[in-house]
Amino acid sequence: MSDQLLWYTTRGAGAVSLVLLTLVVVLGVLSSLRYQASGWPRFLTPGLHRNVALVTVAFTGLHVVAAVVDPFTSLGWVSALIPFSSYYRTFWLGLGTISAELVAAIVVTSLLRRFVGRTAWRAVHWVAYASWPLGVLHGVGTGTDAWSAWLLGLTIACVAVVGLATVYRFIAGASDPLAVPRADFRARAAKRAQS
Amino acid sequence: MSRLRLLSGPDLAAGSEALNAHVQRLGPLPAVGPGLFDSVERSGLTGRGGAAFPVARKWRAVSAAGGGGALIVNGAEGEPQSFKDRTLMSLRPHLVLDGALLAARAVRASSVVLYIGEEHRTAQVTMARAVAERPEHELRHGRVVLAPARYVAGESSAAVNLLNADIASPTTRPPSPHEGGGGRLPTLVQNVETLAQVALIARYGADWFRLAGRRGAAGTILMTVAGAVTSPGVVEVEAGISVREVLELAGGATQQVTAVLLGGYFGSWVDAASAWDLPLDASMLRERGLTLGCGVVGFLPVTSCGVCETARIMEYLASESSAQCGPCFFGLRALATTSGRIAQGIADPGDLARLERWSREVRGRGACHHPDGAAGLLQSALTAFATEFQSHPAHMGSQVA
Repeated sequence: MSDQLLWYTTRGAGAVSLVLLTLVVVLGVLSSLRYQASGWPRFLTPGLHRNVALVTVAFTGLHVVAAVVDPFTSLGWVSALIPFSSYYRTFWLGLGTISAELVAAIVVTSLLRRFVGRTAWRAVHWVAYASWPLGVLHGVGTGTDAWSAWLLGLTIACVAVVGLATVYRFIAGASDPLAVPRADFRARAAKRAQS
Repeated sequence: MSRLRLLSGPDLAAGSEALNAHVQRLGPLPAVGPGLFDSVERSGLTGRGGAAFPVARKWRAVSAAGGGGALIVNGAEGEPQSFKDRTLMSLRPHLVLDGALLAARAVRASSVVLYIGEEHRTAQVTMARAVAERPEHELRHGRVVLAPARYVAGESSAAVNLLNADIASPTTRPPSPHEGGGGRLPTLVQNVETLAQVALIARYGADWFRLAGRRGAAGTILMTVAGAVTSPGVVEVEAGISVREVLELAGGATQQVTAVLLGGYFGSWVDAASAWDLPLDASMLRERGLTLGCGVVGFLPVTSCGVCETARIMEYLASESSAQCGPCFFGLRALATTSGRIAQGIADPGDLARLERWSREVRGRGACHHPDGAAGLLQSALTAFATEFQSHPAHMGSQVA
């Protein structure tokens, strides 16, 4: 029974992690557009992005731990740490390992942000965008439930939401938030007629 | 004050001094030789627009870069409380033009541009009339460019940008104008008071210049006295005199003074007790972490509120952003809104801590020094009015210093 529980936990936490990570990516994309500055509710801030990210870390951790300690799968800790070292679905599970490690890298650099500096922290954040597609592929490739209608629907929904956010980011993000005030200043500080 | 120099001569109420009276009083324009650089250097003259940059060093940089650019005679005076530049131009235009010609010849500038605030009509008319009186060919090709009535327009890189790119936006991107900024010819931008001082140094020498000044400071400075004083306005004082003495020169206080704003809106609030003995000299104030700026001293009366006054200034400075960068446009807006909430007595509990953190964080992040100046003013206010900021009641109709 305990085996069963661990197996359900692995699958459930994996699905929850997918949804949460999707939410984190979307919130990250939206906060990079400075939504908090244009009259949106105050809860939609980098703070929410950070808190949802921490919950995601918890569920991802649960997913990994449950999978590793499950005696039936006997994956071992090595496959949780070293990508593509698992006997079981080597490639697809490896993608999940990388995805989880990218998430861990964000947590570590965010906690040590004061020491690693803003540039390095930012670089890690950019690289860690990859954790989302890797996680999605890991779910599709490894997932026991991947082809069940509900998880397939969930995966497609997640991909669609991130896709929409990304497209919106590139359309809206191309516009300069300072364009209007800058034009206003230009109008008021342009060269006058000379006497 | 017996040591009037820039403002000596005929009664100031008589208006601008004509060319013949000017020449009769001071003699003709001296020739420019290699000695002028040395005189200016030994005088220790620093720029009077606000940054107090050593004049000789700027001239040497322009010369070393080959000269050939414009001399911008900076009389834009965007500081709202300052009147000394337009007063000097309106009363002693030929002293300014003398200095402009000397500087232009010393650094081999190709043209002279008079940069005057668009709203300062008297100064424009007086300077244009004075130029028409002058025989020198450099001035016949000179022109007046009107500075937009913006706070940032008087900054030297903004003046250069207006001439080159038709927009008076400042920048800190090196090289600076005097080093040939933006791939242009090296441009000398010099405040009108600085140039007037050069006109006197060229005639009487560095040692004479240094005869004036107290406590080791050199020369005289034009100051604008504002706020709770009997006769606010422009005074010429010896560098190094104390805040107390300037107050006496302006006829004394009309009410009890609680704080002093030194150096204008990019300056610092100092509580009155600490302010009285401060020496009014650019380098002596800098040693104390303060600034003389363009020479504004404002006296805050006991009936006015430092918090409300600071909130009003922050609102002004935020609205004067050139919107080149987020730290300035969004950062100063946030500082202004938050200090406004405290002034109105509708602050959130975290507002004061936020102000303190933001005013530290915004510094050094701007595309120009505008956010630094505004944040510096706010930080000084948070110290000078610490108790008032902590528990500020809402009160309307407080008087403006």
